[in-house]
Amino acid sequence: MIAVSWAPKAVTVLALTGLAFGAGEIRKELHFKVGKRPMVSINNPYGPVVVRAGAPHQVVVSAILHSDKVELDQSSTRNRVDVISHLLAGSDQNTGLVEYEVQVPPEADLTVHSENGRIHIENLQGDIATEGSDSSVEVLDCANGHVHVKTLNGPVNLSNVRNGHIEIVSMGGDVLLSGVDGPWVSVNSNTGRIQYAGNFGDEGEYDFTSHTGDIEAVAPAFASIDVVARSNQGRVENDFSLEPKHTPFYVKGGNAFAGTLNKAASSVKLFSFSGRIHLKKRQN
Amino acid sequence: MNCLEFERILPEVLEGGHTTERQAHLNSCPACSNLLADLKDISLQAKTLADSAEPSPMVWNALEAQLRSEGLIRRPAAAAPARSPWFRRSKTVWLVPVVAALAIVVGIKLYHPAGAGEKQQAVKHIVVAPGQTVRPVSSDDQQFLNTMATRRPARQARYRADMDDANAFIHDAEQALKSNPGDVYAQQMLINAYEQKQMLYDLAVDRSSLQ
Repeated sequence: MIAVSWAPKAVTVLALTGLAFGAGEIRKELHFKVGKRPMVSINNPYGPVVVRAGAPHQVVVSAILHSDKVELDQSSTRNRVDVISHLLAGSDQNTGLVEYEVQVPPEADLTVHSENGRIHIENLQGDIATEGSDSSVEVLDCANGHVHVKTLNGPVNLSNVRNGHIEIVSMGGDVLLSGVDGPWVSVNSNTGRIQYAGNFGDEGEYDFTSHTGDIEAVAPAFASIDVVARSNQGRVENDFSLEPKHTPFYVKGGNAFAGTLNKAASSVKLFSFSGRIHLKKRQN
Repeated sequence: MNCLEFERILPEVLEGGHTTERQAHLNSCPACSNLLADLKDISLQAKTLADSAEPSPMVWNALEAQLRSEGLIRRPAAAAPARSPWFRRSKTVWLVPVVAALAIVVGIKLYHPAGAGEKQQAVKHIVVAPGQTVRPVSSDDQQFLNTMATRRPARQARYRADMDDANAFIHDAEQALKSNPGDVYAQQMLINAYEQKQMLYDLAVDRSSLQ
């Protein structure tokens, strides 16, 4: 009896709540037929962009627009899809916010622009480029493509990115690379911290530099590396027993080291001006 | 030859260094041939820009003289020393910071958002907390900050902080290079510092155009 009397009230309250929270929100879903290895570009000044691998030959863009102060501009050709959150007069960070969920073919090339929203990309095999001021960037389980990240102060997290050509430029955002390898892995940071945990595989070139940010690299005992590390004003530590090698600069104890480990297949350069550098041995 | 190998020798190809192997890759790879065509086009446009807009040859000369006097660059020797593998990507890669700096200057001078950069425009200054140190900035940086003050006032302090960080990095890298001009790693740090500053300008200008 009690349940019966409460049920209509509960439904009414839920409906009104839904209306209140949903007021001003506009949901859109866009479908594009594309060819092999399409180029997909999402430009979203405010709000998150989540991109996952979907069906071949199809791009699906689901967007939630938080007000009528922003609209979606789209353009597409046979193999190119561009979607832009177009801010209208009077929009701001709240009213201009758009949440994107995008599915692209696994081999798609992707460009994402977001100023302050989370950028999350996973399971792609194509080239990836992201840009943003404060947006956090996560790239997970990707392979065989270029991954280029530019951020001012957003944190960057790459995990399980294989055989990549990776370039990250960051001012203050921390950069975390876990299980990342490829022929070219480069991080250029200013105050942000750089952390690497992986095998330094693929006979690659790994260049990590910072101005004041700390650099920490964790590698296994079987890593095959030729390493040079120097911090002009910071402390440098090394857990490995390296074979000495010649360096073009004077190695002072405590602020630089250089040497090889195993067959020295990959080149590792760790350079900072005043950040602390630590090459750690992974404890298995 | 694959795309990665081609990218590494791209500067040589741009300077006319064609071989059968490179040409074969260009013939088989639309991406690389398009990239090469774009770069040639940019190079051509840049020459036009240099002829028609600032900076004038005098600026280039003055800049070159300044860099030479500071020991940051030298006249090319008859037999150039072998470069570090880090610089295999380009024989002239050390010019990148110089070109980047000029690109920033030219970019800011050419970029005229509505109402910005006018002489009569009121210049907004950053509000600084008592006791906080204000680092001096160049006139170009100040012009950039003034533009951001009108276009992106909410982010002005953040841009200023990022600019200070980038300038501090450039300053430290230059000092390190002065102490040891032959240090290829210090050269790379300077390149990285300028790359950060260029990114700051790019992102700021790009973002402000969305407003």
